Amino acid sequence: MASTSEQGMWRRLLWSWRPESGREARRAVVRNFLLHWFPTRVARRSLDYGYSFYLGTISFALFAILTVTGIVLMCYYVPSVERAYGTMKDIDTVVSFGWFLRRVHRIAAHMMVVSVLLHMVRVFLTGAYTSSTSSVARREVNWIAGVALLVLTLLLSFTGYLLPWDQLAYWATTVGTSIVASIPLVGPPVRYLLVGGSEIGQATLLRFYVLHIAALPLVLLGLAVWHVWRVRKDGGLSATEPALRQAAEAVAAGRAPAAALDDDETSLPSSPHLTTRVLIVVVATVAAASLLALAFPAPLEMRASPQAPPNPAKAPWYFLGLQELVSYSGFVGGAVIPLAVVLGLALIPLVDRERRGVGSWLVDGAGRAWAGCGAAYGLVVTCGILALGELAPMRSLFPGVESQLFFDVLNPASLLLALFVLLYWDVRASTGSTRYAALATFCAFAISFALLTYTGTALRGPNWELFWPWQAWPEHPTLF
Amino acid sequence: MSDPAIQRRSFLGKLAAAVLGLASLPAAWILGRSLVPNVHYEAPRRYKVGRPDVFPEGVSFLEERRLFVVRERNAFHAISAICTHLGCTVKYAPFRHKREMAVRGLSYTSRGEFVCPCHGSRFRDEGTNFTGPAPRPLVWYHMDVAPEDGQLRIDTGREVDRDFRLTV
Repeated sequence: MASTSEQGMWRRLLWSWRPESGREARRAVVRNFLLHWFPTRVARRSLDYGYSFYLGTISFALFAILTVTGIVLMCYYVPSVERAYGTMKDIDTVVSFGWFLRRVHRIAAHMMVVSVLLHMVRVFLTGAYTSSTSSVARREVNWIAGVALLVLTLLLSFTGYLLPWDQLAYWATTVGTSIVASIPLVGPPVRYLLVGGSEIGQATLLRFYVLHIAALPLVLLGLAVWHVWRVRKDGGLSATEPALRQAAEAVAAGRAPAAALDDDETSLPSSPHLTTRVLIVVVATVAAASLLALAFPAPLEMRASPQAPPNPAKAPWYFLGLQELVSYSGFVGGAVIPLAVVLGLALIPLVDRERRGVGSWLVDGAGRAWAGCGAAYGLVVTCGILALGELAPMRSLFPGVESQLFFDVLNPASLLLALFVLLYWDVRASTGSTRYAALATFCAFAISFALLTYTGTALRGPNWELFWPWQAWPEHPTLF
Repeated sequence: MSDPAIQRRSFLGKLAAAVLGLASLPAAWILGRSLVPNVHYEAPRRYKVGRPDVFPEGVSFLEERRLFVVRERNAFHAISAICTHLGCTVKYAPFRHKREMAVRGLSYTSRGEFVCPCHGSRFRDEGTNFTGPAPRPLVWYHMDVAPEDGQLRIDTGREVDRDFRLTV
């Protein structure tokens, strides 16, 4: 920015003036269009990289990257069964920097799934979903909005998966939409609506395209903006108690939340302390996406061929944990467990209404111990059900039974769910604390999700058989 | 709420909300219903696969149709190649020697089995799932002879049970 003091065009458009006092710094934020949604002062603890890791900011930056690169890609991509694959080849080989934009778009999508997941983990582990001492804040509602944003992020990623119309895209979508169809009653009609018919074809491609470029981004953007607005209204990040209480009291008194944070011991002006940090995080995110894009090429397999599924056929990685469970039972893995996970996540703040340890990682020493126990429990039971599924498949344990209902009730996936419910009730009964019980269960779930995703991604080879990382996959004909 | 003006205002407010709420129902119906396609440009669900004598004894795989046509002398039936688990295309693996086995309480001669490459489900050659995650047997489709040219005709809109045979 220009160092001269005259009122240049640039300054008049974006910057009110260079702040020289705390009061001016505050006005700089309020008067500036780009900054008006920041508070004027921010609690010191919320500024810590190590408290929030700026995962929400990173997610937003990734969404911006995806929007910009996506708009350029839209200028070349044609959502038609005949032409989609060809236009992908064009983007990779003919369009200047097309290969790079496609790689950035793909890697940023994967990064966004990760950053939104980690954001949820951070908010959970610091207890930031409870409204703490404030009676005004509605952080519970914002947590539910966050769960919805996670689902939207996954849907955006999944709808983008089909667009290249190559083998990977086609079969990942076949598997993904079949998981939808395995939900009883509502599954088949929802799949029909999603696919736009009974077979994946032109109608599906167009529907996924419209969802991917218009419907889902608009809904996600609207909800994300509301999500951030709610954070402001709830008095900023759920950080240290005194600053938070001051902010919440200010909201209750009808003043701006940050007005009560005047003490330099607890808070700092947003400009420049928050703005520079946000700038650093955004630039670092763009740099990371660009470098990762250079390191990881975006794959483009053979043109989609309904006659010849690849072996193995896999959904995108973030659904492979589910696909692993679906390989035990379509109903439990495809319907019961996803529903239980989404509902369980959304209901956390309604089940756990304790106000202890908000803003500190894992509450306290006992919380850390329970989280560790939960993680270890998750590791053991997940390895256990994987071993059970591998060594003693249910159908060979009960060869005489033909009833599908029997195997839908009794299988490793439903066993895993039951063991998690058991963990929650057990910790709750022995500590009398919903917070500790939720901590242990969440950590068990996180480990289990990671392990199942790893198994589905790295260890499953042809015929969905288990191969250790050091074992080579057998040669398998892809066409027959 | 004794003031009639306030009562009237709150009543009118509720009335307006109710009218808007009711009016949004047809709007939602219009938008939702229009997303359900009335016409498909998919391959027809009923199609001809050729005269009976072009099919050899045993299992023939029609790749584009994702369909198996099975011939046992002059008896025909058609089995879908779409795995009932997650929709992959199963392949037919013939046995070297035929085996006697019991399925659904009946003993019969099996000449091979269907294997799904995606998640390892296996089916008897009459469609019954016996290994892996597949929840249901492979689907059998109705089959008849087209009166105009004597070709075998498959109707994928019509599922039949596993005792169906078309004798030509």
